[in-house]
Amino acid sequence: MIQYIARRLVQILGIMVLLSIVLFALVNIAPGGPLAGQGQSRHIPPERAAALKRQFGLDKPLPVQYVVWLVGNDWMRVDADGDGTADSYGTRRGILRGDFGFSFQTRQPVLDEIRLRLPNTLYLMGITLLVALGIAIPAGIISAVKQYSKIDITITTLAFAGQAVPEFWLGLLLILVFYVWLQNPFTGEPLLPSGGMSSLDTFSLWDRTRHLILPVMCGALGWIAWYSRFLRSSMLDVLHMDYLRTARAKGLPERFILYKHALRNAIIPLVTMFALDLPTIFAGAVFVEILFSWPGMGRLYYQAATQRDYPVLLAVLIIGAGLILLSNLLADILYATIDPRIRYE
Amino acid sequence: MSINLNKLFGAITFLVVLSIILTGCAPAQGIQDEQRSITITIPEDPPSFNAIIGDTGYDALVSNMVLLGLTGIDPDSNIYPELAAELPSQENGGVVVDENAGTMDVTWKIRQDVKWSDGTPVTAEDVVFTWNAIMDPEKGIWVRGSDYVDNVEKIDEHTVVFHYNSLYTGYLTQLGGEQLVVWPAHYCDPEQGFSQWDCGREPLSSGPFVLKEWQVGDHMTFEKNPNYFEAGKPGVDEIVIKIVPEDSVRKEMLLKGDTDLIMWVSETIARELDGQPNISVSVSPTNRWVLRVYMNEAARGTTDPVSSPNPFFADVRVRQAVRQAIDVDTIAESVFYGYSKPAWTEFAREPYKCDVPRPKYDPEAAKALLEEAGWKDTDGDGVRECHGCANAKEGDLLEFELATYPDYGEPILLAHQLIGEQLTKIGMRPKLVVIEGTVMWAEAEDGGTEQSGNYDMDLWDDGYSGVDPTDYLDEIYNSNAAVPGSGWNIVRWISPEMDQLLAEARTLDENKREEVFCQMAQLLDEQAVVPLLFTIINADAYSSRLEGIQSNGNDVVTWNAADWTVK
Repeated sequence: MIQYIARRLVQILGIMVLLSIVLFALVNIAPGGPLAGQGQSRHIPPERAAALKRQFGLDKPLPVQYVVWLVGNDWMRVDADGDGTADSYGTRRGILRGDFGFSFQTRQPVLDEIRLRLPNTLYLMGITLLVALGIAIPAGIISAVKQYSKIDITITTLAFAGQAVPEFWLGLLLILVFYVWLQNPFTGEPLLPSGGMSSLDTFSLWDRTRHLILPVMCGALGWIAWYSRFLRSSMLDVLHMDYLRTARAKGLPERFILYKHALRNAIIPLVTMFALDLPTIFAGAVFVEILFSWPGMGRLYYQAATQRDYPVLLAVLIIGAGLILLSNLLADILYATIDPRIRYE
Repeated sequence: MSINLNKLFGAITFLVVLSIILTGCAPAQGIQDEQRSITITIPEDPPSFNAIIGDTGYDALVSNMVLLGLTGIDPDSNIYPELAAELPSQENGGVVVDENAGTMDVTWKIRQDVKWSDGTPVTAEDVVFTWNAIMDPEKGIWVRGSDYVDNVEKIDEHTVVFHYNSLYTGYLTQLGGEQLVVWPAHYCDPEQGFSQWDCGREPLSSGPFVLKEWQVGDHMTFEKNPNYFEAGKPGVDEIVIKIVPEDSVRKEMLLKGDTDLIMWVSETIARELDGQPNISVSVSPTNRWVLRVYMNEAARGTTDPVSSPNPFFADVRVRQAVRQAIDVDTIAESVFYGYSKPAWTEFAREPYKCDVPRPKYDPEAAKALLEEAGWKDTDGDGVRECHGCANAKEGDLLEFELATYPDYGEPILLAHQLIGEQLTKIGMRPKLVVIEGTVMWAEAEDGGTEQSGNYDMDLWDDGYSGVDPTDYLDEIYNSNAAVPGSGWNIVRWISPEMDQLLAEARTLDENKREEVFCQMAQLLDEQAVVPLLFTIINADAYSSRLEGIQSNGNDVVTWNAADWTVK
């Protein structure tokens, strides 16, 4: 097993190197540039553009920019003042030494930008996924056990609806209903806040919870639909297995059969799915964060993409890619751990 | 395991609903009223307090509350002193011109009663420090006029002189106006550099408010500056800035009283809010932004109108036809809900107004112009072909791309469609495309469609802040600004006459300037270089419990935040 993990890690490293080249090229080659849209004046004077390009390191050819991004430029001379001669050493250390550069927009180190938002996203997405699983697992089990019953049909219909509803539409609808229309009968204030993580003047668990309800509802619906459908079908597969008939035949209690024998097998693929979905906890949910004014990673990424803030964009992409690869490995390891039939050679 | 699941869920639901209601009952924001606190809502964080660096408008919003420049510009385009004790002029001896050498010195007297929020006085030292930081070749930034300033000299604690190596008409906003402010020399670290120093995120204050807290992506809190120099101001104790990305949510928050001011409302939202009880919409009297039609005079994909003229728009008659075919009033009324005013010359606002007759909406005259230019529809399919036209092959269709950008939102996109229809009516075939602003205005090597000349006709809004159009006109109409990467003469209009006028406009003789600008107005009108259509709204919406709010197209709404009060 350890040998297997080591081999996979080496593979991941190789893939990351390739990915870094592809991502860097894609982000830079995509039409549009960071100097446009820098500003309400729509266009910037050429003298200003030249200075900015130098400050952003965009005056170098693309392969050089890649090398600088990867390993920094503190070992080579650069022309920092634009007089045409390279006279001082650069200050960048490169992502391999933990320097993801600075945001073109805020001029702050990219890692600081991420650090400010990551906890908010982990908080929202973590709770969203927990809520989603908490509802999806019982719903999937009931749906499978009572196949074709009224409750199964209801859950199935809701699940399809949940997958079909676009998040941005659902989000606006939730705000319309719970913020604009419904009022707290005692205070006359909106029933739920329109967004944000907490009220400014109070700090309480309930205040935090109130702010979580709508974004979690909005974000969890799709996951609930997805996981419950998934569990239903894998549970159905298992329920038709011979060993369950045997278990029933030898007179085991139904509850024991369902939870001890059926669910344990049915849930294995779900664990894998879940592990594969883990990187979204890092990436955040763009629509939910925009609609509910949640200061998270999704919004950071979206803004970086629309403003062509290359360093931020690249950092989110490359860290995200790394997490996807690692969670794939994690999924495989988990699979072997919970399913003794699986052995990796 | 005998819990009834249904009952359990029921109980949980009941508890959740109850607690939502009960928390709502908790003593409602009473603090807000006692403290005279107000809330402003904007869609994204300001990148910093250094508005010239980010140029997003949100940075100007917070910068106005915290930092003073030498001057500011009011909504009627008057420049007023902020840190300056008075505006330098030739009359008061503040501006001394050396006619022979063609140079000038501008002397600024600085107020003696302004202090930084740590108690240190604001002095000439800070002005010199700020200017040197801006000019640093490595970490500074190019600003308008900086090429003409040789150096800035401190005369005494409260006097500085800007030595210009040429006449520069924009001197009054050199270290003021919309975006530039004076930074504290004893607090900012010149090693970190003007464009990214930490004091740009945690500034000392010379203005009416002090930054107390900044939770990125969520909110910023400002408190009254106890050291502010104007007695009795500011009239508000606390300003909270909330970040709410979605337009419609910001609007609902204003209606619900969860915010007191939303910055930069579009025509659509202004109309929805106008007339609502307790809500006011403030519209700037000066209109900075004007929607324009850019017609590429060089062939698509090229940038030289002489060697490769555009098959359609190199001919002035076709440009004039386009101008006459667009029904400006109808679009302004139906899509911009009457918030827009027709505009047809760059010189329509104070202080330089020229009398240019308004072009008439006349599709028949437009068709006649196209006929005359050799664009005729002989096969009756509704699209004109070249029959004896100047720059296209015989039989080529009058077919081109009409592009706009989506970032502004619905009104411009609808105007785009209407203009497309109106051009179709006179026998053109415009193909409508929408291109991201970051692509349209990118550098040529980044695939910027305009810089690389890769467009036929573009539709977007532009304009200048303040009172001096000279630099702006130079960037847009000078023939040397037609070279990719050297400016924004993206229609590639080459006119030695205009270049001459632009050079002549660089004088301090106001009468002469006015005369030159009106000659330019004439020339631009005759040539239909970039037809202007109508102004775009610059408005902010606010709760009627605030007093003193005035939208300002030359700056952003917080330009007079010190004067705001709460009813």
